[in-house]
Amino acid sequence: MIIKFIENIGTKTINSFDSIYEALQFTFLCLIHIVNPRSYNPAMRMVLVKQIYFTAVTIVPLFIVMAFIFGSIIIGVVIALATEYSLQDKIGSIIITFVIDEFAPFFTALLISLRSGTAVNTEIAVMHVNKELNTLKEYNIDIIDYLFLPRIISGVISVTFLSILFALIMLSSGYIFTLFYMNMDFHTYKALLLNAIEVRDLVILLLKSIAFGFVIMMIPIYSGFKTGNSYTAIPISVLNGMVKLFIAIFFIEVLALLLQSL
Amino acid sequence: MLENIALIKEVIELMPTQEAQNLAKEELSKINLSHLGAYRVGQCSSLEIFYIMFIRAMMTKDTHILIDMPYTIIDNLENIDEVIDNIQRLEYKNKKIFILDTVNHESRYGNLDNLDL
Repeated sequence: MIIKFIENIGTKTINSFDSIYEALQFTFLCLIHIVNPRSYNPAMRMVLVKQIYFTAVTIVPLFIVMAFIFGSIIIGVVIALATEYSLQDKIGSIIITFVIDEFAPFFTALLISLRSGTAVNTEIAVMHVNKELNTLKEYNIDIIDYLFLPRIISGVISVTFLSILFALIMLSSGYIFTLFYMNMDFHTYKALLLNAIEVRDLVILLLKSIAFGFVIMMIPIYSGFKTGNSYTAIPISVLNGMVKLFIAIFFIEVLALLLQSL
Repeated sequence: MLENIALIKEVIELMPTQEAQNLAKEELSKINLSHLGAYRVGQCSSLEIFYIMFIRAMMTKDTHILIDMPYTIIDNLENIDEVIDNIQRLEYKNKKIFILDTVNHESRYGNLDNLDL
């Protein structure tokens, strides 16, 4: 009984390490394709443009509204708390750290995961079940170049662009709150933010966005690619992919916090 | 479907997208199906999908095209002659076409003896 239990733990551990190794191998393969100029053929470039359009452009109206609402509320709460604890002189740093370092990339990552991550996972899983991936291979079309790279690159570009947009809108909407709550004029608010912002904040925003963008596409693609051969395997693949993706997002967030605290 | 057909030329021969799509359009127009260019797979009948698959196969550098049991690929296909006529209009240069089917469909290919497929 005990031996069986230990054997089960051993098997599960080996399987977990196997899957991690396989996933890392796949990631490495995709990275090699990213730096290879031959991967960028006309068809791939066309898919990339379309993918950027679907991931980053079509979401802009919803994104602006959400950034504005969240920006006003969250910056309002931050300012109210800072005032309550007599931290008015630190408001600039608090807003910049909160919005640029943390909230903008994290919220963008969550939104794009829910919208595009699920779509990509389902799309690749359906293509796998329908044997479309095999057909592409039969025609000597590299599926990493044609299907995976455009999605990964569009993920990185879209999340970075949308994080910057989110931060800008959030900071702008924060002004409205400061105007009514603290009676602060625009020039004071602008000076407050400009004095608080550092190059480090922008580097953090960019690096986090790139990391988020990469995993937001990479994990659903891998999950879709590893789907079983039946239609019933598709929801399981999406479910597993999304759980892994959210774990990865939180892992990046924690890792970034740890690195910042060094 | 235009992108679907043009894909092979774009990826294998690195042909610019516009040029590859024009070529695809040209092939479709030979069999009066140029309207399919703007369609998605769900909007096409099985016969139209068959023609698209055939044109896509023509885009490859392979010299042999194998049509595996056309009566099972194309729904409600009564007579293969019309399909063969359209295939011939596509002017498949340097390609040999093979149709593979079961013996019970033999009688349906009565008029094909004189064809150089």
